[in-house]
Parts: sequence; structure tokens; C-alpha cells
Amino acid sequence: MATTTATLTLSSADLTSDSLSLTASTTLYKAGTTIGLDQTTGLSKKVYAAAQSNTLLINAATYTDNTAGRVYIKNVGSSTTDYFTIELGASNIVIGRLYGGDWLFIPYEGEQDIDISSTGTSMELEYMVIHEA
Amino acid sequence: MATTSATLILSSTDLLTDSLSLQTTATLYNDPDFSTGLSRMKVTATSTGSSATIIYTADDFAAIAYLYVKNTDATATDYIYIYDDTTSGDPVILKLAGGDWAYMPLIADKTLRAYATTNPTTIEFMVIGTDQ
Repeated sequence: MATTTATLTLSSADLTSDSLSLTASTTLYKAGTTIGLDQTTGLSKKVYAAAQSNTLLINAATYTDNTAGRVYIKNVGSSTTDYFTIELGASNIVIGRLYGGDWLFIPYEGEQDIDISSTGTSMELEYMVIHEA
Repeated sequence: MATTSATLILSSTDLLTDSLSLQTTATLYNDPDFSTGLSRMKVTATSTGSSATIIYTADDFAAIAYLYVKNTDATATDYIYIYDDTTSGDPVILKLAGGDWAYMPLIADKTLRAYATTNPTTIEFMVIGTDQ
């Protein structure tokens, strides 16, 4: 089995009167086990020449339902006005918006598609799914 | 205006034949200057409803806000579910196993609540955003 760790650090010297320095780390295990996730899409890059609307990014049919994958998505652009909207499932429930440089890291059960919409031209994102069979 | 950064490090020496070492840092959009602070609470609800723990109340912050949430439980199968309490049907947007965390930007116009498979399960969370 593989051992993959994900570590988040949130830091700020001036968000509060005391400095913020939060670190969270987790090892990525298969659902309900201490066996490491052992499959990945690798780090993929997409370039969208035109603005998108509800475009499939991660196809749930590729993954086993009720598993414990993780999804990383980053808007690799630098625009502060154009953004990707991240949407979950057939109803395209909006879960967040990524401006230039923004990223997210969330658990993924493999049951619902993840779609994106975007606002500009020539926008780029990177994404990776780490999952189990 | 405050400057807050979020860094992710993904690493593995054996997920692939080549080592994985991904590091990315983002400065939070629009320099948000308010925070809920890091909250730690017991999630006692085991289904959606008014007893589910409120993680974020719709429109407390202007878009964009950032959510950090962690299931502190040591048992992997003690899940915490984060759901959208504003949208019809209360769709679950995150399912966190014990020990898992998530970080994501929010449009900040939806109320988020949490319930768990086991009563109680301890959750930590923080939302950083711009007051409105």
C-alpha cells in the first residue's frame, strides 16, 4: 500500500491580533481502513479556450461509489476577476469558486460528477484525484 | 485588510514510481479580514435538521470566504457530513472520515450544517471572509 499525506497550513500575521498558524495533516486512507489510497489520475492540466458552463471535470462513473478519494483542484491563472465555479452532481450544486491561484482539497466519495463553469477565455486549471479501486 | 495564505503539501514516496511532492500556496482572495476563529464543537445530530451543528450562516461574509473543517475523531468510520442547509434537499457537500480535513472556498451565500454517524463526534472548523 502507498502512504500519501496531505498537509494544510493556514497562516496570517494580521488576520487577528494573535498570529494565525494552523497546520492540519492527514494520511489518505481507503474508506474505513488504515490502508493507503493507491491510485491517482496524476496531476492533470486543462486549458479552456472559452468560458465554460457545467463542463464535466471529474466523471464519477470512473470511480467506485462510497469510497474515500480526495480531490485537488487549482486555478493556475492569476486573474482576480475570472474564476472557476466548482459544482457537484447532476444538479450542479455550487460548492465554491476559485479565483486565480486559489485551490481546494476535499474528500470525494466517487458518487457524483464534479463540473466546472468559468468566466473567461484561456483559463487553466490543474486537478488530481487520489482514489481507491 | 489582512494577508492570509493557505499552503497544501501532498507527498508520497510510493503512490507512484516517482515521488509525489506537490506544494501550492495561495493568498486568500480579496484579503479577507474577518474570521470565525477556530471552533471546536461536538456534533450530536445524526441527521439533517435544526439540531445539526451550524458551520456557517449564509451571507455572514461576502463572497469569497474560505472554509477549513476537520473531523478530529480517531475512528475512520465516524463520519461527519457537511451539508448545504439552504438548498432544497439538504445536499451533502463533504463527507469527512475520522482524521480528515477539507479546505475550500465558499461563495458564502449558503448555510452549512454538520451531522455525524456517531453522537458525539468532535469537529473543528474556521471560516475566513470579508464582513458585509
